[in-house]
This record gives sequence, C-alpha cells and structure tokens, in this order.
Amino acid sequence: MILDVSHKTLYRYSASVVHSQHLIHMSPRLTPGQTVRHHSLLIEPAPAARITGEDAFGNPIVTIEIEVPHKELVLHARSTVETSKATSVDFATTTAWDKFDHVPTAEMLRNDLDALQYRCVSRLTTPSLEIADYAAQSFTPGRPVLEGALELTQRIYDDFTFDATATDISTPITEVFKARRGVCQDFAHLSLACLRAMRIPSRYMSGYILTFPPPGQTKLQGTDASHAWISVWSPETGFVGFDPTNGIVAADEHVVIAHGRDYDDVSPISGVLIGGGEHTVSVGVDVTPVP
Amino acid sequence: MTRPAPSIAGNTPHILTTYREALGSGFDECMSADGTVRPHWQPLLDSLDDLPFAERTDRARRMDRRVRETGIAYDIFADPNKLSQRWQLDLVPIVFSGEEWQALERALVQRARLCDALLADIYSDQKLLRLGLIPPELVFSDPAYLRPCQNILPAAGPLQFYAADLARADDGQWRVIDTHTETNAGIGFALANRVVHTHVAGDLFKSCNGVRLAAHFQTLQATLTTHSGRENARIALLTPGPHHEDYFSHAYLARYLGYLLVEGNDLRTKGSQIYLKTLEGLKDIDLIVRCVDGRSIDPLELDPAGFDGPAGLLRMCRKSPRLVVNAPGSALAQNRGLGGYLPQLCEHLLGEPLLLADAPRTWLGEASGQSHVRDNLDGFVIRKAQEGTGRPGRAALGQDTRALSPDDRHDLEREISLHGARLVAEEKIGFSTAPVFTPNGLQPRPFAVRLFVSRTHDGYQLMPGGLAMSVDPDRAVALTAPDGHTRDVWVLSDAEQAPHVSLWRPTLETARVQRSQRVIQSRVADDLFWLGRYSERADWTMRVVRSALRRVEEDGGPATGRRAARKCLEMLLAKDKGFKPAGAAALDDAEIERLCQHLISGKKGLRTLDRTFSGLYRVANLARDRLSLEAWQTLSKFRPGDSWMTTLANATPVAVLDLLDEGLASVSAFNGLMHENMTRNFGWSFLDMGRRLERAYNLSEAISTLFVPVTGPEEESSSLMLLLELADSFITYRSRYRLDPMLALVLDLLLLDEANPRSLAYQLIAISQHMQTLPDAKQGVSLPEDRRLILALLTSTRLTDVEAIASDTDRTLLAKLMDEHLDGLPDLSNALSRHYFNLMDDVPHRVQTRSEPLTRSETKP
Repeated sequence: MILDVSHKTLYRYSASVVHSQHLIHMSPRLTPGQTVRHHSLLIEPAPAARITGEDAFGNPIVTIEIEVPHKELVLHARSTVETSKATSVDFATTTAWDKFDHVPTAEMLRNDLDALQYRCVSRLTTPSLEIADYAAQSFTPGRPVLEGALELTQRIYDDFTFDATATDISTPITEVFKARRGVCQDFAHLSLACLRAMRIPSRYMSGYILTFPPPGQTKLQGTDASHAWISVWSPETGFVGFDPTNGIVAADEHVVIAHGRDYDDVSPISGVLIGGGEHTVSVGVDVTPVP
Repeated sequence: MTRPAPSIAGNTPHILTTYREALGSGFDECMSADGTVRPHWQPLLDSLDDLPFAERTDRARRMDRRVRETGIAYDIFADPNKLSQRWQLDLVPIVFSGEEWQALERALVQRARLCDALLADIYSDQKLLRLGLIPPELVFSDPAYLRPCQNILPAAGPLQFYAADLARADDGQWRVIDTHTETNAGIGFALANRVVHTHVAGDLFKSCNGVRLAAHFQTLQATLTTHSGRENARIALLTPGPHHEDYFSHAYLARYLGYLLVEGNDLRTKGSQIYLKTLEGLKDIDLIVRCVDGRSIDPLELDPAGFDGPAGLLRMCRKSPRLVVNAPGSALAQNRGLGGYLPQLCEHLLGEPLLLADAPRTWLGEASGQSHVRDNLDGFVIRKAQEGTGRPGRAALGQDTRALSPDDRHDLEREISLHGARLVAEEKIGFSTAPVFTPNGLQPRPFAVRLFVSRTHDGYQLMPGGLAMSVDPDRAVALTAPDGHTRDVWVLSDAEQAPHVSLWRPTLETARVQRSQRVIQSRVADDLFWLGRYSERADWTMRVVRSALRRVEEDGGPATGRRAARKCLEMLLAKDKGFKPAGAAALDDAEIERLCQHLISGKKGLRTLDRTFSGLYRVANLARDRLSLEAWQTLSKFRPGDSWMTTLANATPVAVLDLLDEGLASVSAFNGLMHENMTRNFGWSFLDMGRRLERAYNLSEAISTLFVPVTGPEEESSSLMLLLELADSFITYRSRYRLDPMLALVLDLLLLDEANPRSLAYQLIAISQHMQTLPDAKQGVSLPEDRRLILALLTSTRLTDVEAIASDTDRTLLAKLMDEHLDGLPDLSNALSRHYFNLMDDVPHRVQTRSEPLTRSETKP
C-alpha cells in the first residue's frame, strides 16, 4: 500500500523564544516492510543550523537550532511510504517464551545482541508486581511467544478503555493499569512492561496508522494522529508489530517513524527553549492512501 | 605458648594504654594481634605521645573549629541542627606504609585501566557482551548506560577520574567495596581535610615524613591542560550548583586548581561550539570537568528533566569527544554487579590477573544467582546494583534479609525475580579498625577509605592520600558514615620529601589561572550585585532599628526623636501587605518596640531583617567560590537558624541593641574584607554597584520620609540628628560645622558632598565610574538605558541648589528631587539586570508533544 502522510505541528508561544534546539523524529525509517519514496520536512522560521542524522537506534533524526526570536514554530513533515504486509507468520510455531533463558545462548549473543536490550525495563516501562501478574496470564508454560503476545495485545484492548482525558504525558503505567484507561502511548508502555516482566524483547513503535471514518461519513482533514504501538521479538520472525490500542497485529496500515525502548527514545519533537513563556501546540496529521 | 615479643620500635606509647583492651577480633591497622604496634604507626604514635595531654585535646578542638569555618559540610541548605550533617575530622589519620601503598597503587591503577577499557568496549562494538564476558542485561538494565553516548570515545579513554572505596576484611586483605567512575567522587573533601589537618597538625605530618598531595594535583593540572588541546585552555568544573550535597567539594577543587566553577545554565551550545556566558559575551570553553551525573548533562538527548548541562552538549561531545571528562555514560563501570566478572575481564582485556578483588557480591539478573540467594536469603544484604552517587559517606543502605517476616520475604523474592537485573546480594566481610582520638586516649573504630586515581601523562596515578570515614560495620558493605566522622589518610615515605613542590609549576600554568579568574559568568555578576545590595540593606535596616530602640531605651531624649524614628520604621514596613501601623494615638515607645519586633522577625515583610539576612546568606552561598574564607566566616551568624538569629528574634529590646552591634560589626567586617581583598574586576564592580545603589535608595527614602512634608523646628532638629546617625555622618558633620544640625548643611553633606562616602552624590559617581569600565556588549548609536539613567540622576543631583531646597517651605523641590531618585534607582537596577544578566536568557525548559489521541470510532472496524 502507498500512503501519503502529512504531519504538521504548530507551536505558539506567549513570549518570544530567544533560542531553541529541537531533536525531531518525524522522518519515516526504513524497515523490512516499509520503503520511503519521498520525504520532506519544512521548518519555519528557518533554523540557523539543521543536521540530519541517525540516533542510537538507527532512526532518522533532524537536529535544529533556531536563533531568530519567534513566537510561532511550524514543523511540517510530508512523506510518501510504501508498506507491505509481512509474509504471514504462524505464531504457533514461534519459540516458547520461557525458552528465552536467563543466560542468553552464545548464538543469541552473536546474532541478536541488539534484541536483548529490548527486554530490559526502562524508565517508562517498569512493571509492578501486579502488572507482572497480569502479564503472566497470557504466558502459560511452553506457549509460543508471539501467540502469547497477540493474546496480551487483545486482552489490553478488551480490558482498557481509550480515554484521552484520563492521562497525560507524565502519568505512570502503574496508574494507567489501576484506572484501566489511557491512550495509545499508555497502552504501548503497559504492553512493554508486561512483556519485559516476562523477559520478552519488545520495542516501542512510533508512527501513524491509516484510519477510516465511521460508516456513512467522509474523512475529515487533519483528524488522524501520531500513533504508538509495539513490536515483539521471536528468533523465527524478528520483531513483529502488535497494536494494543486496536487489538490487532500491525500490518500495512501502520507507518513506522522510529523504534526505541520507550517514548523517551523516540519522542517526535523534543525541544529545549530559552524564553517562550507558556506554549500551546496543535497537531494535524493526515494519512491518505494513494491509489 | 610463648609470650609475644615486645615491640621492637620501643615501648607501647602511653596513648595506647587502653587501646588493646578495646580491640575486637578483627584486623587492626595499628596493632597486630600480639599487641605490638605496627612499625609504620610508631612515628605518629610517638609524636602524639610527646604532645602534652592538654595540647592534644586543644588540637582536636581546633580541628573541629577549623572544619566548621572551612565549611566542609554536606549540604549547606540542610537543617543545621541535624547531627548527621556534621563533618568531623579526627586528629589521628589512617597511616599507610610506603610498601603497602605501592601494592594498593598497582591494584587500583589496574582497576582504573580495566574500567577504562571496559567502557571503551561497551560504548563502541560491545565485544565483551558478544563474547558473554559481561551479561548484556547487566549493562542494558543499568540506567547509567547511556545509549545516546554510544561511540563518544575520547582518544585518551573515557575515564579521567576513578575512585574506589576499600575496606580491609577480617582476613586482613583489602577489598574494593565500591567503585566510582561517574565523577571525581568528592576528591575536594579529601583535599580540604588535608588542608585543615595540616593547619592544626602539620608538625606531626612532617615528623612522620608523609607524602604531600600538591604534586598529584599539579600533574593533574598539566594533564588536563594537555587533554584540552590548548596551552591557554579555559577549563571549567561543571557542578549542579549550591543545592547539591557535594557542592563544597566542587567549589574547593575548582578553586584549588584555578578552574572556573560553572553550572549548566552558564554554558550554551551554538552551532558546533560550546560557550561560557560571560559579561563580555560568549567565550570558548576547552574542557569540562564533569561533576554532574552523566544522564543529566543534556536535556535534549538524555534525561528530559536533567538541566545540569546545556542542551546540545552531547552533540558537541560527538564532534569533540575529549570535551568532557569523565566521558558521559562512564558511571556504567561502577555497577556493583560487575564485581564477579572482573577477574575474567581483567585477563581478557589486560592480560593480567586481577590484583584486588571486590567484596563478594552476586548479580541477581541471572537465574543461578537468584536461586543461590533465594536458598540462603538470611546471609545477604540486597542492594541496588547502580547507585549513581559518589557522595562520600552517603551510600544507601541495602535491605537486610535477616529480619524479614515471611510476607516480606515473599515480596522480596518476587522483586528479585522481576527486577534482579538491577540488584545485587552482598555478604558481610567485616571492617578493620584504626585508632580515633578520644579524651581518654585512642580507641579502635572500624573504617573504610576512599582512594582517588587520576589519569596523567604517565598513565593512572593514585593520589597519595584519601578520605577515610568511620563506618557502622553492621549497616552495609559500603562507605556509610552515619556520624560524619572522617580521618585523613597518610602515606609514609622513606624518601626525602621535595620541599618546594610549588616550584614545579610551569609559569604558563600560572598565567592561565590568573586570566581565567577574570572571566565572570553573567550569573556570578548577578549574584555579586545582590550580595552588595543585601549586605547594605542589612546594614541600613539594623541601623534604623538600633537608632529607634536607643531612643526608647535611653531616657531623656526628646519625644520628637522617637517620632522621627517611628516614621523611619513605618517607612520600611510601608509596602508590606497585611501590616497595619498603629494610629497616631498609639504611644511612640510601645509602637516602636512593636515595629522593631516586626522588622526583626517578621516572616512576610519585604524588608524585614529575617528576610534580608536569609537573602544575604543565600546569595553569599551562590557566590561562595568568589569569597575568601575569612569573608565567608563573617557571614556565618546570618545563616538561617544560627543561634545569633534566634536569640535576636526573642531578645528584650536592651539585649537587641547589643546583638545589633554585633551584627553591624559582622557586616562591616565583611564589607571591609571584600574591599581589601577582592580583585578589582567586573565582579567587584557589580558587588560595589549593588551596595551603592542600595545605599543611595535608602538614603533618598529616609530624607523623603523625614523632611517631606515640612515639620516643626523641634521635630526637624530631631530628624536631622537621626539622619546623620543613620548615615553614619554625625562626626563628619560635627567636626566640620560645630553647630547643631541645620537642614541646608546636612543636605549638602549627605546629598552633594562628593567627598563624603555616605553622600548620595558619592554613590552615584561610584556607580557611574563602575559602569564606564564595564564591557558594553550591545553597542548602538544611542546611549544604553542604564548609562542614560545614571547620567540623569547624577546630573540632577549635581545641579541641586541646597539653599533653595532648604528655604522652600512646602518642600516641593526636595520632594521632586527625592522622587526622581526613588523612581530612577530601581529603574537603573532593572536596566543593569537587563543589560548584563541576560534576564531574557532565562532558564531553559523542555517541550514535548505526546502522541495525540486516536479514537476508536475512527479506526478500522
């Protein structure tokens, strides 16, 4: 599937920003299931310095520095990506989750060292004992790892209510778990905490998802959003995407921007400002299939 | 059984008479099991024995006082009454023989090389993980492993500073009980201890032929200069700031090495360069000695809440990896879980056997370790693998498993299986004892010691000294010093000590040190400006209160004098919301006492002494690395909670008078010391401008209050007396005129007389002169606002005709002149702030957007 993505972020500041630096994750990354046909990032006001590169996880990043005083900042990323459905995997044939022994095999160390870092807890994905208990229900002894992951994804979809007002960016997962409410980012972090409690390598995925309007309505401009989901590792398949917000396996409707251990690693725009006072932000995302 | 042989070196010193009885079963540093004194302790014990009893106790007392005066406390903002905050330095050091020290040096230098090689591997291709020599999850679970620092590899190696905490176990062998690779781990405390100890007992040190520290630090200086890549390098010590518990150590070390002490907000990255914000604009920085946690040095790429370094610092490090020492991310090597893997790592990386083992600890990230500990849970203390702090004496206590209820035990087991990768289980090893000084002779007490290694041109070098602390052996296998009792560490030498070590210092080094001190960070200028304002404000307010109380307490003064004093007090409290002056009907005496009480201890008032003193103490702390020790000591009574302050708040009016005399003496001692000792650089200009500006304002305010509107002749005469007293110009007036005060003459003296250091004109001229020397970063066509304001004020003062003012019966002229100053001076203060302190350049902050909500109704059915 070919998808056009437009992601526009507008910051308004109550006072002039004298100087700012931003680290931006808005450019789609190459993955086995995704190629990037076109990408541009427009920034207004024009940065004094703009450096394109890769972060420690191989995600494309742009670092900018703005030196003209400004009260508005616009970042507009446009991308055209081609996504493909992964060749179908039989989850039942993946390695049993409890075979990932505490001590990694020499083979795993040689080939999959990178995957091991994704089974360690991070600041935003530290499980409590209760969360570990919740996770354990999906991982009975000997169960294939991706089969368990799919069930966990679906349980979180069933047990938790999407509620944009219940949490904010600083709500810890232990509270999300208690309240049983949150947004995609919360569900992604919670799923990761569950999987990492079981010592299963799993990544935080940041990007977009193609959405469809409710039946009988036309899709409105700018109603899409940034999205977050996870991917889970098995030796047979590598990382496979699961979307706990929608209770599905990620396929060609997901556009990947970046992956990391949690949100901290891949936050779309993080900026350090001098001046600026209070700020408001508005974000408009459109994901459109190209016929 | 034969009796143990008597000490070869002579009789057991008297000072040890009761020592042997108090010895436990463990290893003692100074006395072997058979009761003989170990030879390397003999010179010290003999010297101590030679001192008369009274001299010994007196020295211990002087040591105590010196420690307090130097300010070697952990946390200057902490509750001063808490005992645990105290820092004590024992008269008796820990003594090492040259031979034993050399063995330790070999072992610790090897350790530093090992940690350096380990970090270089983890932050590059991670061969050690691929080969299974370190469990990957030990690294990946450690919050100190900073993934964004991958590939930031200084050519010299990531580790400039290494420190180890050591204890001698019951078997007589030294063990590393903790490692510090994040920062230089409180080396400034060890240095300060030595300086204090030498001050009180330098003769003992000399007679024992101890090795001095200076050479080590000079080598360090030269090494860092080379490392920076520039001969005249500008080197800065990056500290989290005065709120941090180790700030003393940072400030002390910075001053000793002649480096700038900077905070994150003093630095700024721009393009591909890093700069220091100074009064003269942005200046290059060549090397940063990092005394802050690695993860909080760059809010852009690392901990989003960490503002201890400037945003973008990591980008600079990628471009120039040698910019920051230790390299960011270095704390990984201090992970306690590594201990068990070090022997293989040492063989693999260095091709040598490990010379010194860690205290036995088991990393709990593996099933085998977990089950071992679960089966023997009673024998362990469970602790965090990564503590992150290098704070001497403050290592966290672990969870002792012996006293657990079955429920707690169950929870702990689950915690271990869930978060074991971040935990270790440790076994007790015992601590050796060494003598401490008590009035009843020496007593054995357990201790642990921190030793410091620095990289030099010739590889790593162990500082010939250290920081020993008395530990509670039951608490943890770590440097925990519950009562803050510390000891110096002496290394004895057989060789003759070079007498004038300082001659080694290359002349270029000296030149660099002098120049770097001329650079003033904008922040420091701001602090000094307010230090000037607060010290003058404290002086003035104390004078007003003292004059008022004198008029009440001393019989025979005219009632008009009391009325004038009351007006001044009311003026100082006028802007305080919630404070209501009593009506005119209230008796002057009672009202004056009430007002004074409020001015002394009122918590809410803008200009109460309580608030002024705490402001004074706070900014003095912020600018502390610019103050001499003596100047700092004069301010000690203004420390919040000091007994002088509490006594003042509760004293009777008569006693208050005495206390205020003391307070005024301290402030003028402080001002005098600053005046005599401070280099006339920009810092001095701001300090003095602050003081002058405050004085000009207070004087204008008092004149306006006392003489507008016009009063009767009796009252005017009393007001003139009071004004001369407040402005400390009574004697000048008397010697000049030998007349009772007259308005025109007093105004001439206090407004216009440019030779009187208390006059308004004098203050304005001083400010104007300072401003002419200041750098003018923002040159334009028109005069900057601050220059314009001072010119206007000075001109209108100089054009004043005092005769006309004095004879103007409705005082319009005087009111106009004073109002000009009461408006113009605060404007001037603000204009200076805007011009020089970069108020626009306020604290940086971080913005993030969260993934926007996605509602289910919009998703695929």
